[in-house]
Amino acid sequence: MIRYCLAVGLAVLTLCASAFATEKPLRVCADPDYMPFSNRAGDGFENKIAELVAKSLGRKLEYTWHSYRGHGGFGEFLAQTLDAKKCDLVINMPYGSQEELTTNPYYASSYVFVFKKKKGYDIESMDSPVLRKLKIGFERETPPADGLKIRDMLFDAIAFHVGDEKGESPAVMLQAVEDGKVDVMITWEPAIGYFIKNYPGLEVARVPNERATGSPEQYMFSMSMAVRKNDTALQQELNKFIAQHKSDIKAILDSYNVRLYPVAGGEIL
Amino acid sequence: MGAETKHRWWVVAALLVGLMATPPLAQANEQLEQMSKDPNQWVMPGGDYGVTRFSELKQINTNNVKNLEVAWTMSTGVLRGHEGQPLVIGNMMYLVTPYPNNVYAIDLNNIGKFAWRFLPPKDPNAPPVACCDVVKRGLAYADGKIVFATLGGKVYALDAKTGKVEWEATNADPLKGETVTAAPLIVKDKVLIGVSGGEYGVLGYMSAFDLNTGKLVWRAYSAGPDEGMLFNPEKTINGNLQKPVGKDSSLKTWKGDQWKLGGGDTWGWYSYDPKLNLVYYGSGNPGTWNPSQRPGDNKWSMSIFARNPDTGEAAWVFQMTPHDGWDYDGVNEMILADLDGKPCLVHFDRNGYCYVLDRRNGKLIAVHKYDPTVNWAESINPKTGIPTVNPAKMTKAGVNVKDICPASEGDKDEQPVSFDPVTKLFYAPLNHICMDYQAFDVKYKAGFPYVGAIVNMKPASPGVRGRFIAFDAMTGQTKWEIQDSFQDWGGALTTAGGLAFYGTLDGWFRAVDVHTGKILYQFKCPSGIIGNPITYMHDGKQYVAVLSGVGGWAAIGMAMDLTKPTEGLGAVGLTADLSDRTNLGGTLMVFALK
Repeated sequence: MIRYCLAVGLAVLTLCASAFATEKPLRVCADPDYMPFSNRAGDGFENKIAELVAKSLGRKLEYTWHSYRGHGGFGEFLAQTLDAKKCDLVINMPYGSQEELTTNPYYASSYVFVFKKKKGYDIESMDSPVLRKLKIGFERETPPADGLKIRDMLFDAIAFHVGDEKGESPAVMLQAVEDGKVDVMITWEPAIGYFIKNYPGLEVARVPNERATGSPEQYMFSMSMAVRKNDTALQQELNKFIAQHKSDIKAILDSYNVRLYPVAGGEIL
Repeated sequence: MGAETKHRWWVVAALLVGLMATPPLAQANEQLEQMSKDPNQWVMPGGDYGVTRFSELKQINTNNVKNLEVAWTMSTGVLRGHEGQPLVIGNMMYLVTPYPNNVYAIDLNNIGKFAWRFLPPKDPNAPPVACCDVVKRGLAYADGKIVFATLGGKVYALDAKTGKVEWEATNADPLKGETVTAAPLIVKDKVLIGVSGGEYGVLGYMSAFDLNTGKLVWRAYSAGPDEGMLFNPEKTINGNLQKPVGKDSSLKTWKGDQWKLGGGDTWGWYSYDPKLNLVYYGSGNPGTWNPSQRPGDNKWSMSIFARNPDTGEAAWVFQMTPHDGWDYDGVNEMILADLDGKPCLVHFDRNGYCYVLDRRNGKLIAVHKYDPTVNWAESINPKTGIPTVNPAKMTKAGVNVKDICPASEGDKDEQPVSFDPVTKLFYAPLNHICMDYQAFDVKYKAGFPYVGAIVNMKPASPGVRGRFIAFDAMTGQTKWEIQDSFQDWGGALTTAGGLAFYGTLDGWFRAVDVHTGKILYQFKCPSGIIGNPITYMHDGKQYVAVLSGVGGWAAIGMAMDLTKPTEGLGAVGLTADLSDRTNLGGTLMVFALK
């Protein structure tokens, strides 16, 4: 916008000034009902980050609501919203995803093991021997599902499908551990951190990356925002925002108990 | 302009450090170098600074080796993969175990009890982030000190007489994915030690600690700005192109800030040429596994570095596998051997090629496949060493690329080769495996990030997963080979007795005629062998020692108790039948003539 105004020149300076005042709204697409990520009431951490972005860019926040978990899943969500130009931004995508254009990462977290503290299981990786004796829960089509598969442990484990079903809360994964339906749940920490305060008896331990079985196994991910593939202008703006608001972003994530795991070198790109 | 100013400041600082450091250290250096020429001892991991793993001893020779027998053994108390080797200094033997990295000192005059032992505090954060078993490749000696690093990244200098800690330093932080598996090399008053952690994109570095105080003197990164890599853009030579690297030689080959997760870890073996005053080592795979996420040559991952040990400044650098898509880490040992009257560096790379470089300037002299099945490259330019990649074998997102040779474990991994200066041949314990590689993009399933890369490793020839060969590095000719069922993941030793020693993954310890490849002696050890044999004299008798304890990446399934065959996927499936042949162990085996 600034560049455009400069190009147009002095003659329309007043027009430009008024354009700034009525700057285009920041159009975010988000799920109306998927806590702790987002909801229509603005309770999710994605909502809070969207608000911070809008405020910092001096733009009004405008949502287009569409379920992340409808028919076709998140891919279809992107096709129906961002790709269809109903919005310009989604708040939460893994860094480096080829589906859209991702910004620099603004947090990094990890898949985790969740189990009852009092059981005191000695679990430090997917290869910990005790796992072979335990009932394991996992979210289907995630890295832990692959990790279990290559260890031939998949058939004895219980699949969850929080990421596929509208209305299903990630809290069910914690409840399953609490109720003893599974001994260990392997899940993405940011999905369950928000609910863990209701389960004081549960312990959370990260799943480390490895390639012990020969295949690279990645359980830690850097997360970023995403814009349409050709929208490098907004990407640049967002990168600047991320660089300038690291501590504000961290404060939001902390308040949702999203555990940040240091990546190599102790910093995020 | 700012960068240039900084650079100048660095050169001055480096020069000062170099000047201050020179006089007393030269002495310690000479002493250690002299000791390494005494065949009665084994004073550094590779036997000598050139890591030739050759000994002049010949009491045990082709005529009498059939009379070899076990002289004594010792349990290390640890049941994980035992890579590495003991040292023998005078009458003392020293060894370090896999994690928790306990150190034992044994008086060879009194093997009935430990002279001392040192049990470092355990760092529970380290084993989970160790890539491929919790191995340790040995310790170093200099100036009355035993120096080693724990898996958790602490460096200890112990009094060789008492085991008392003289100093402790930190080289890595497991909370950031950093660990240390390598053995240090001591050059003058510097302890050189690198870092592991490619699975976390740890940006690799070589550290030099002061032998007397444990203070970090310099640290040189494998990628990033010139100052961090200790490159002099005008003086550091690009070995491939034989001209100065120029400014930002690494930064130009990465997209944006990706070099910060650039990998290039330095977990292999280190060697040193005292005449040229250069240390040599290699760097590992670039940060992100998926190559389509990191366009560019990703310099200087997968490269050989030559550095001045006093200042860390790079004299030259040579990249073998630009833009790696197969995990062919360039960390294997750099053997310093004089061939055809030239000072050469010989490197059997994971990518299946054996590189002969002029070790003065990194100029390529010869490059040959040492396994005929290699197919990831169509050719290697004989002048520059730059490969022409076979497009059908490049891994990419979402595509299952079949029958790539070698597999990620390489045609050779860390298991060190031995150079026999008598036959002028290299005796190489090798892998012989190929792979199918399916790499996926990173995706998002509502609420759950997802990425996958599934590797299916398989023997390159039916029933043959390892080879032990005698190789002419100049001509590329394999003089003879022994085919083995499993990867030969233990190192080699050659002696003036006309023998090459090595151990197999299923536990056979062998002595082989260097001229014919005939197996003259073999003994089934309690556990598979991934350690490196050494030899020494004590009381007029020659001994050969090797660690027996299966594990490491090759036998990870066994080390982690993963014995179920799993649809043939990855390293576990590859060696599933190993458990029919051997079991976990941790024993020092010492052999001598009857």
